[in-house]
Amino acid sequence: MPFGLSKEDLAAVLAAALAGGGDFADLFLEERLTTTITCEDDKVERLSTGHDVGAGLRLIFGESTAYAYTNDLTPEGLNALARTVAQAARAGGRRAPVFDLRRQPVPYDLAVQRWPDQVAVGEKVLLVERANAAARREDGRIKQVLVNYGDTVQRVVMANTEGVYAEDERVRTRLAVQAVAMSNGRLQTGYEAVGSFGGLEAFEECRPEAVAAVAARRALLMLEARPAPTGRMAVVMAAEAGGTMIHEACGHGLEADLVQRGLSVYAGRLGEQVAVPLVTVIDDATLAGRYGSFRFDDEATPGEKTVLIERGILRSYMYDRLTARREGRRSSGNGRRESYQFRPIPRMRNTYILPGEHDAEEIIRRTAKGLLVKKMGGGQVNTTNGDFVFDVAEGYLIEGGRVTAPVRGATLTGNGPEVLRTVDMVGGDLGFSIGICGKNGQGVPVSDAQPTMRIPSLVVGGTACED
Amino acid sequence: MVDAFAREREMAVDLVRAALAKGASAAEAYLAEEEELVIEVRDERVEDLKIARERGIGLRVLQGQRLGFAYVTGWSPASFARLAEEAVANAGAASVDPYYTLPPPAVYAQDLDLYDQQMEEVPLAAKIDLALALERAGRDYDPRVRLTESCNYEEHRFRVVLANSQGLVAAYRGSNCGLEAVLVASANGDNETGFHFQYSLKYAALNPEEVGRKAAAKAVQMLGARPITPRRVPVVMDPYVAVNFLGVLAPSFSADAVQKGRSLLADKLEQRVGGRSVNIVDDGLLPGGLASAPFDGEGVPSRRNLLVEQGVLRGFLHNSYTAAKAGTVSTGNAARGSFRSIPTVGTTNFYLAAGDAAPEALLGQVSTGLYLTQVMGMHTANPVSGDFSVGAAGCLIEHGKLTTPVRGITVAGNILDILEAIEACGHDLTFVAGRGAPSILVGRLTISG
Repeated sequence: MPFGLSKEDLAAVLAAALAGGGDFADLFLEERLTTTITCEDDKVERLSTGHDVGAGLRLIFGESTAYAYTNDLTPEGLNALARTVAQAARAGGRRAPVFDLRRQPVPYDLAVQRWPDQVAVGEKVLLVERANAAARREDGRIKQVLVNYGDTVQRVVMANTEGVYAEDERVRTRLAVQAVAMSNGRLQTGYEAVGSFGGLEAFEECRPEAVAAVAARRALLMLEARPAPTGRMAVVMAAEAGGTMIHEACGHGLEADLVQRGLSVYAGRLGEQVAVPLVTVIDDATLAGRYGSFRFDDEATPGEKTVLIERGILRSYMYDRLTARREGRRSSGNGRRESYQFRPIPRMRNTYILPGEHDAEEIIRRTAKGLLVKKMGGGQVNTTNGDFVFDVAEGYLIEGGRVTAPVRGATLTGNGPEVLRTVDMVGGDLGFSIGICGKNGQGVPVSDAQPTMRIPSLVVGGTACED
Repeated sequence: MVDAFAREREMAVDLVRAALAKGASAAEAYLAEEEELVIEVRDERVEDLKIARERGIGLRVLQGQRLGFAYVTGWSPASFARLAEEAVANAGAASVDPYYTLPPPAVYAQDLDLYDQQMEEVPLAAKIDLALALERAGRDYDPRVRLTESCNYEEHRFRVVLANSQGLVAAYRGSNCGLEAVLVASANGDNETGFHFQYSLKYAALNPEEVGRKAAAKAVQMLGARPITPRRVPVVMDPYVAVNFLGVLAPSFSADAVQKGRSLLADKLEQRVGGRSVNIVDDGLLPGGLASAPFDGEGVPSRRNLLVEQGVLRGFLHNSYTAAKAGTVSTGNAARGSFRSIPTVGTTNFYLAAGDAAPEALLGQVSTGLYLTQVMGMHTANPVSGDFSVGAAGCLIEHGKLTTPVRGITVAGNILDILEAIEACGHDLTFVAGRGAPSILVGRLTISG
């Protein structure tokens, strides 16, 4: 009995939540063990472990939702929660449905070898120290190194009034290195992060030294870089740049909550050609080891691979239960939440553009003048009009089909639908990046990926400008 | 007067004792409780209602010169032994550092008026009506306002109890609330968003009509916006945009950033860093300030710190650790996001002080330029190098007047260059939670579109 609560206890809480009426209720019980380690200034200075236990209870009545959470997971604590949502709802009318909690079979396995909660903190500290030392070894101009390590073991129990009961465990590890390089009084930073669904085994394949070296070299390169140009030009995004562009330019606009509220440029366009046929976009929870993977989403829906855009045709949005219910369809397993403190909403998982047929090097060779993006930084999108912006963490000029000088301070501004309609070459490679995606104040782990791609014309906002 | 925190103080002291018993040489217990209410309305009904209560404890220990930390949700004495063991074990794996100290007991401001009894007493139904009034004011402003992206009422009520092995035991409670509106205006196939918000310590201060109208007005003003050709022109920023830029600079005032070589301002103490009209203040005791508190995250009394005076950098922000390292005293800026985090150095009520000019007068000084009302992707700015290149929207200024709305542009530069180029500050100092700024006139910025 996880959390010392039987299925009968949970069923009683759900029934109490519906006592005043309502259409649906679900419970989310969570235990989370967290370790974070920070090394800066050559010191392991922040070593923290945390133990979170909490429960969230949701009641849906008509088009409204009431949500409450607590840290008190006794039957009394949960029943108090049920009274809170029942009163808040004041729904009246409907009768509580009869349900019998049945455990959901696990849809597929996501293997974890070395569970973080079974590994001594000293071994994790060693990973951090290896990264710190490696970054500093790169060059004397590396003046400061910040290394962040984090792992979480999250155990959840989910039950709802449709009779669904599921248990899941999510194990994630991540390592991020920020290097600060200084020369002639000018500071530049380089950042690299890796993360996976999995345990400490992730760092055998992806060594801390390698992550640190990438961050340090990026900071050093930016010292040499000249200010980015300003204006419209061709932009080639290398596979290793990661998928921030697809996440911002397209992903958010395909989340069903935004679509249903008319807040997306992709609303009402299912079955239409929204991108050139070179573009197929997938959102996938099932990829082994990827940061955004899981077996069940946070509403007990099994994870799946969802085709969003198939050869340019819009095939599906991303749904949670609430948005799926409005359209009388199944959830696509995109109902996610940051923790028990939040109700689930449609979120991305691992989002990527399928590789195409062009050779990555040929794409550069065929570009007379433009910008090569080797690493993207953060980004943001206004889903209502599709405008997006993201930061170029590592960029180079392309001149005469060749990669020339590194540039710093570039930002790409564009419009999602316009980019998807104008992409003219898609490479055969694929590169992933990880991040914590923020929406409505909730952060969830995701990964994004894309092949090398060319967009014939994007606005590059640099600092180089003639007066 | 009855001590409303008697039991909680006792628990905190017990946890400190438990940590010492497990081998800590010094310890600090931080108990926090928060109650949260969020009402989201859309299309004249409540779409989401969230009512929640969370409690937790953060335990910071020293074992000699090593620091360890652990937290747990709930306030259960049954969890103390394990929590203490974990924190001490974590200290054992950390590096030696001689500058960790815990502050001694102190005397705190009593008159901050941080808790609003009315907020607790007003029934839920009245708060729902307030949120509905917010949406109605926005939707009724103009027929082109066709969609509600979000219209929320939010409130937070919290208690904090702190005890350490130096004999410090302290507690306070506070509350705040706010309204936020994001509305969409549509015309001729063009959709534009406008937002506005208000946060306050006092429920009675909230003005849903004004917040709704302003959000709607901003959306309508943006209709028909288009990109512009690249240029380098004077820029007037509204207070919200100015606050966003100020946020990029904020980390550089942290003594921790200075000591670790990641502050833009590190070697500039007593030097000119901005125009003469630039005064930057951090005030943990600001009347009505959302970040006001009697003491900081480790129990040091809050105070007012003048950081930039007429363009000259006067000081940095310290907690006990950075102060010990620099041989000075803490400025009361130990920041604690929640019971889950170790105190760092952070701002409280951090603001660019108001000037004398009316915002219209700032526009009047510009013959050709840009008025910025929205920025996008500000989180991508680099606080270490100061470089930023962000998406923006606003309106052209021609002969001192606002003319054509523009969007899809980027503004790029370095935050220090902006600070130096500030020519005048408006009298309209506006706070966005714990950060504030007036409208500002910036000499020249690179715009691309």
